[in-house]
Amino acid sequence: MSSPAVRPAPVPPPADGTAARARGLTKAYGQGETTVLALDAVDVDIARGRFTAVMGPSGSGKSTLMHCLAGLDSVSAGRVWLGDTEITGLRERELTRLRRDRIGFMFQSFNLIPTLNALENITLPMDIAGRKPDPAWLEQVIDTLGLRDRLTHRPAQLSGGQQQRVACARALASRPELIFADEPTGNLDSRAGLEVLGFLREAVDDLGQTVVMVTHDPGAAAHSDLVLFLADGRIVDEMPRPTAEAVLERMKRFDVVRGQVDDAQIREDDAQIREDDLRSREDGARGPADGVRGQVAED
Amino acid sequence: MLKATLRSFLAHKGRLALSALAVVLSVAFVAGSLIFSDTVARTFDRLFASTAADVTVEPKDDLESQLPSGAVRTVPAALAARVASVEGVASAHADVSVDNITVVDARNRLVGSTTGGPTIARDWHVTDRSPVRLSSGHAPHGPGEALLDADTAGRKHLGIGDTLTVLAQPGSFRVRIVGIATFRTTNPGAALVYLDSSVAARKVLGAAERATSISATAEPGVTDTELKHRIAAALGDGDHVLKTAGERAKSAAEQLGTFLDVIKYVMLGFAGIAVLVGVFLIVNTFAMLIAQRTRELGLLRALGADRRQVRRSVLTEAVLLGVVGSTVGLAAGIGLAIGLIRLMSVFGMNLKTTEMVVGWGTPVTAYVVGVGVTFVAAYLPARRAAAVSPMAALQDAEIAGVGRPLRTRAVVGGVVGAVGAAALAGCAVATRTASAASLLGLGVVLTLIATVIAGPLLVRPVIRVLGAAFPALFGSVGRMSQRNALRNPRRTGATAAALMVGLALVGGMSVASASMSESFDQQIDRTLGADFVVQNANFVPFSQEITDRVRGTDGVGLVVRQRFAPLAVRLPDGERLETTATGYDPRLDEVAHVTYTAGDSAAALAAGHLAMDAGFARDHGVRPGSVLPVEFPGGRTARLTVGALTDQDQAEGFGTRGGMFLGLATVEKYIPGGQDSALYVNAAPGTGADPLRARLERTLEPYPQVQVRNLADYKELVHDQIAVLLYLVYALLGLAIVIAVLGVVNTLALSVVERTREIGLLRAIGLARRQLRRMIRLESVVIAVFGAVLGLALGLVWGVCTQQVLALQGMKALAVPWGTIVAVVIGSAVVGVAAALLPALRASRMNVLAAIAHE
Repeated sequence: MSSPAVRPAPVPPPADGTAARARGLTKAYGQGETTVLALDAVDVDIARGRFTAVMGPSGSGKSTLMHCLAGLDSVSAGRVWLGDTEITGLRERELTRLRRDRIGFMFQSFNLIPTLNALENITLPMDIAGRKPDPAWLEQVIDTLGLRDRLTHRPAQLSGGQQQRVACARALASRPELIFADEPTGNLDSRAGLEVLGFLREAVDDLGQTVVMVTHDPGAAAHSDLVLFLADGRIVDEMPRPTAEAVLERMKRFDVVRGQVDDAQIREDDAQIREDDLRSREDGARGPADGVRGQVAED
Repeated sequence: MLKATLRSFLAHKGRLALSALAVVLSVAFVAGSLIFSDTVARTFDRLFASTAADVTVEPKDDLESQLPSGAVRTVPAALAARVASVEGVASAHADVSVDNITVVDARNRLVGSTTGGPTIARDWHVTDRSPVRLSSGHAPHGPGEALLDADTAGRKHLGIGDTLTVLAQPGSFRVRIVGIATFRTTNPGAALVYLDSSVAARKVLGAAERATSISATAEPGVTDTELKHRIAAALGDGDHVLKTAGERAKSAAEQLGTFLDVIKYVMLGFAGIAVLVGVFLIVNTFAMLIAQRTRELGLLRALGADRRQVRRSVLTEAVLLGVVGSTVGLAAGIGLAIGLIRLMSVFGMNLKTTEMVVGWGTPVTAYVVGVGVTFVAAYLPARRAAAVSPMAALQDAEIAGVGRPLRTRAVVGGVVGAVGAAALAGCAVATRTASAASLLGLGVVLTLIATVIAGPLLVRPVIRVLGAAFPALFGSVGRMSQRNALRNPRRTGATAAALMVGLALVGGMSVASASMSESFDQQIDRTLGADFVVQNANFVPFSQEITDRVRGTDGVGLVVRQRFAPLAVRLPDGERLETTATGYDPRLDEVAHVTYTAGDSAAALAAGHLAMDAGFARDHGVRPGSVLPVEFPGGRTARLTVGALTDQDQAEGFGTRGGMFLGLATVEKYIPGGQDSALYVNAAPGTGADPLRARLERTLEPYPQVQVRNLADYKELVHDQIAVLLYLVYALLGLAIVIAVLGVVNTLALSVVERTREIGLLRAIGLARRQLRRMIRLESVVIAVFGAVLGLALGLVWGVCTQQVLALQGMKALAVPWGTIVAVVIGSAVVGVAAALLPALRASRMNVLAAIAHE
């Protein structure tokens, strides 16, 4: 990889520092000749009390970045901190405890334990830890997410959107330092997706939480305070106060720019693969974004 | 399609291996018992066929008894001369062979087998048919010399020059070992002492002119059968039984057979349990494999495979499993047979593994059992697989197979259960043992089937209760494990069923045996009034000398002898009853409490009188004063008057139907030369029990075959005998549990695979590995305890009903061994923990990210 590291431009100073940061974060798969760099010496700071979106085409390393920041995956090189705690080098047991107590998770699908009802799913991380949830906070989260009359339902009895709201509530319930959301709207229709994004926004604005969301949907990214663009394992750009249009434009431009900047290496790649890649990127970018716009217009 | 079947078979080999193990175990036990009994049969056929005389003349043995009188039936030795004079007889010999002796060494240790093999004294008469040959020393001459068989000598470290004491009926005598006799073929487990022919009859029969049988050798050209007819014609009476070599070998093998049959049936019992529990395991494994492959099967159907092809594919897999399992099982069975043969030599029976017989029937049976069981067990799952719709390819894998209603099961289980319960209720109120026992059997089978069918319906209510404390005790981990166990009631039910079957049997047997023990205790308390009982642990009679020595012991007051008397009674209703009566000395009332409904001990034990159970007498039209024709062994007959009727609890047990007893003098008159089976001893006035016991023990020191017991010791002896039965049951249970554990492992392993994403999610949001393992362990425990609770509940019902049947035999007390039951429940929890070890380890080792991404 020969392209120069694109340093993130100076971020407006966060209200109270960084929730997580990584320096020289590298994640490689395979060995020797076949080594693939999923993350290539990434430096990143996640501002506390902000909603950060990570965007990029599939295979750009955005999920890997999230997994490494969340202590789900090991790193090949570099260092990662959550708050003041360096998590690179922590042992399995300490990482588990860290995830349980200090991080909230939302996944694209299969977010809930099917045998537990909504309330039990929401309090699960605290139950596992053997801690009592803060009742006032729990009430507030439940009301904010509108789950009051769904608490005794099992996941199978909930719609996809309701399931993601329960997952969101679970991520919020233990008041973690950081919430990671991996394509939280990927499996939802546009209306339910908007709802979930709204709640994440509220979690940041009204409840003071920190959210990092991985997405390839410009419409979803538009709800964030800052969008980080990833390509080929590097952060190539960032966009504060994004709009769906601006993100979409940036994605397109970034495709072109990348096409120009990238050296012969990429041009030598099989043309078919690049075409597929581009098409999927565009599909991902356009479809949902249009949906969101339509939805906004209707509202 | 065959290729797809083979691929799938190989792909699931881990899971199939567990099922194969169940097949292997059952086939191994079946094959092992067949090989063992074939080997034994051939060995002894050879032994007896080669050692029996051409024709043997024996005294007529018309009354067989389960309880030995100790009397030896004899013929006059002079008969040999008469036989020898028959045309075609080359030679005739008067044999002496008795097994009512005990042999002890110089330090009063038993020389005979301690595990049930007989101790036999014979006259030393060498022919080319002798089973033994002299391997060292010289033949015995005169009253002071004897030969000992080599196996016994080796086991007891005895050799030429050592002294033995033979405790024979006429009196004990000492002999010096002057030679060792070695078996030419196989020692059937007996200890043999050979005496000089000239003294043997006098020493062990008490009469020089008697013999136990006459053996005749045919002249060349005369067949055994021909010779038998000639001798029969010459003797011309009905007092003797004549047997050719072939017949003799057969009857000898049959006698030995009863002991070997026990081993065979035990082995087949193990095989049966293994098959029964194995069926559950196989059904469950195939059901799970099919549930797991629902989408794959749906795809096959969508691509155009028809139902029959799908079904055949699953059944082919089952047959493959059966063939592999049977083959390994057959090999294991050979190993098991070798082990058994080795074990037999510990009991003194020196079978040779080199002479092992694997008849053609063994592999045939092995494959029929192995493949048959697997095929039958896989049939239902195969039908279910064929019923998978092509649409299933598009559905979630786990949902298929869970949601189908259990209504059919409820109806079938309910109906079968109701019939079974009715049968059990019928057996509880039945008044005749035979009908009650068959109702019990029917009820046990039906209720078992009903519980297996309806098991999945019971999963929800029972596990709700069992796991109710889990959330409180283990938090969300406990809650999730409880609900995981409830997730697929069909699977949980089938998994637990395997454990249930074994534990139901144990529950039933332990209630029955505890009730038996308790009943015997009560009966002993109620009836036994003596200070001490002197007897053999196996109720085997002992020689007269012991009775005399006990009587002569300082401080002994009263001694009441007990002796068994086989007899046949012609009852007024026309029935001829062969039974064993008991003879007692007159002062019975001082050592026992007998309840009479008519007459008293004096009337019962008077000369020419007998007593019997009042209920039995009523049923057969016997009244006090009735005169009954009675036959004794050896053709002696008498007319005995019913002097008394008794109210006995136990009128029908142990071959003593009718509960008859009579005066020992009467017994001695008609069965002379009998041995006492027990002595009831009271201390003389002024002698304490403890000093008397010490003195009795000193007296009996040279007679290790009998022991002194007080009331408590006597109860313990009875308990120990019942416990032997229990040990067997526990061994069966052990096997059932091993197989059941395989089933639990199987189920958990599959559940872990199915829940991979869920496990990944839990790990991502912070469930520690330890907690994950605990979750799986708790699920396993709750399934195992569910099986135990169901099994024990069923077993308790069976046990109570069995006790009702036993009550008809006089065992009226009901005892529930709560200690055992609690231990079994705790044990089942331990089993659950053990079964969860591997699946839990596997789950906790999963890569979190890979698990989340799992399809």
